[in-house]
Amino acid sequence: MSVATKTMTRVRVREKPVHQTVGLVLRYGVLIAIGLVMFMPFILAFLGSFKTDAEIIAWPPRLLPETWRWENWVKVWRTDLGEGATFPRWLFNTAFLSVTVAVLEVIACSMAAYAFARLRFPGRDAVFNFMLGTMMIPGAVTLIPAFVLMSKLKLLNTYWSLLLPGIVSAGAIFMLTQFFKTIPRDLEEAALIDGASQVQIYKDVILPLARPALLTVFILQFQAMWNNFLTPLLYLDAPKMWVLNVALSVFKQQYKAQWNLTLVGAVFNAVPVLLLFFFFSKYYIEGVAYAGVKG
Amino acid sequence: MQAQKTSSQGSTNLVAIGAFVLVFGVLFVITLTNAPVRSTAQVTETLGAYLTEVRTTAMPFLIVVGLLAAGVASVAALVVRREWPDLTRRRALIAGYSFLAPYLLVTLTFTVGVILFALYIAFTQYEIYTTPTFVGLDNFAQALKSKDFQQSLHNVLWYAFIVTIAQTTIAIALAVLLNTPMRFRQFFRTIFYAPSVTSSVVITVIFVWLYLKTGYINLFLDRVWNLFGLEYKAVDWLGNPKGLIQLVVEASGGKIPSQQWYLRGPSVAWCALMVQNIFTTAPTFMIMFLAALQDINPALYEAASIDGASGWQQFWKITLPLLRPIVVLVLVLSTIGTLQIFDQVYLATAGGPLGTTMTPVYLVFNEALGKQGPIQMGYASAIAFILAVLIFIFTFVQRRVIERGTEMY
Repeated sequence: MSVATKTMTRVRVREKPVHQTVGLVLRYGVLIAIGLVMFMPFILAFLGSFKTDAEIIAWPPRLLPETWRWENWVKVWRTDLGEGATFPRWLFNTAFLSVTVAVLEVIACSMAAYAFARLRFPGRDAVFNFMLGTMMIPGAVTLIPAFVLMSKLKLLNTYWSLLLPGIVSAGAIFMLTQFFKTIPRDLEEAALIDGASQVQIYKDVILPLARPALLTVFILQFQAMWNNFLTPLLYLDAPKMWVLNVALSVFKQQYKAQWNLTLVGAVFNAVPVLLLFFFFSKYYIEGVAYAGVKG
Repeated sequence: MQAQKTSSQGSTNLVAIGAFVLVFGVLFVITLTNAPVRSTAQVTETLGAYLTEVRTTAMPFLIVVGLLAAGVASVAALVVRREWPDLTRRRALIAGYSFLAPYLLVTLTFTVGVILFALYIAFTQYEIYTTPTFVGLDNFAQALKSKDFQQSLHNVLWYAFIVTIAQTTIAIALAVLLNTPMRFRQFFRTIFYAPSVTSSVVITVIFVWLYLKTGYINLFLDRVWNLFGLEYKAVDWLGNPKGLIQLVVEASGGKIPSQQWYLRGPSVAWCALMVQNIFTTAPTFMIMFLAALQDINPALYEAASIDGASGWQQFWKITLPLLRPIVVLVLVLSTIGTLQIFDQVYLATAGGPLGTTMTPVYLVFNEALGKQGPIQMGYASAIAFILAVLIFIFTFVQRRVIERGTEMY
């Protein structure tokens, strides 16, 4: 009996690595396959952006371009619809709006979160619950009346139309409030004894300690603004004020048969967010996961 | 002593009145800017002209919202009157609302004010260039009777149903896969998440191209069919209005007449957009599930495997029950998102073919901007509210159903 067990264990010890390797290869095979599927549209679009317009709709489609036509990219970069409506301008509009909205939102939301997390005053909980309630309002309801309001305030085709409503986000305030609550109070109490004001505590104690959470809000908001389509489509319809997404939707209609140029626009639009994501993926994922776990 | 107390009480009352005036003033300005008026561009030339315009077109709106504002302002005044005499509480009050001021101003103007406006015009006939006239529930009745709206609801319900179930399942599967011990987890997680990072416009443009008759998706299916020695006929994915149920019925020799379009099921074009949406949103939910999986105590699995539970049993008996709260959240988020789909439809199909990809938000957009016939602000607003109620009911039911389920654990 004992001899038999011994040989069996020996056999198993020898066999186990083989079994494990097969499982390992299988698992990584599946992972790589899924990864390829997830990334394939970007790869195909990138390769497609270098093809000729005949090549790009030919059957059967090939993977690599016959010759790498960089002139597609140059052509899109030089797009000029007159009156200042150029591709670099659209890139600037998008980048400017994304950065500014994200910065303003970090400021306004962290202020509100500080009040919710740290100050005691009548009506605080009522306002907090009101804020949670506003999170349930679907965007479709506010879409048209907000457009009317913007036109009344003469803010259509100005950056303000996206900056003003963009500076607050109930989700971001909620996330920051939860984060601020986890910061130990000892430091503030010490600062209070030293005679610091609430503004000083917010600015010099809370904000530096909350840097990762603030960065997460910044990145998520930057991405949300960069990817926003419906509101810029409504509010910024003068060609000079377009953002890349709106320009791309027009490209799609304008260059109907010229898929190569449309794809250049698509890749151009995707690369900045993808790069940002690859560098800061930790913050992205924390933000999304946080919204899930605590929401 | 007596005199001093009276004077401080007097000044408290004065401050309370000041608070009333301030709060009422701010709310009233927000009300005025959100009041429904005619031909917005011209009347804002001067403030006086605008005020006259508001007086003639929006008196009921002003009165109702004005009373609301007065109510809020009275509460504010009472609170101020109570807190003011105590120095620390006074300071706390001022500090609290100062920190909240940017948030409150923006939300009251661009969310609350805007919604009151939308609610008001939903009961009126309002085309921006005319005085809003009260029509009661006519807009809602008109919406429910219109074929466009019925079809858009039908479409979006199919969409929400299929996409929500598919993407939640896929998200859980991907998260469980990524949660197994492995090297390069960060790398794979990043790659899997990439489609969720880019804008829906970019993804839609790329997919419209992939879905072309000469596109890569047809190429891929062609190669797969060839593997099995079958002949493949390229499909015009985004141009095919045939419903899935209709295809099955027709394959078996039957026919669904066009009056009974609602029996035809989601069209091929609509299903193509579903696949694309699943592709882009599943990774977001995958991240949420992954975060929740990493919070599960590994001792539970150790105990289960000592008891001889297989991996599959562990998944059903441990993982899934513990993921329940996140599953609810994902189902709710997914339903809310899918019921409001717009970008993909606007870019890929514009509601066609034969209205089989029409959605309520796209309809709101069209009606309010007069893309199909005259501008119908009130009607568009009514559609938006019907959709909002639907979303609210779905969210509520999902929460209830799954919360009741959790009581067992």
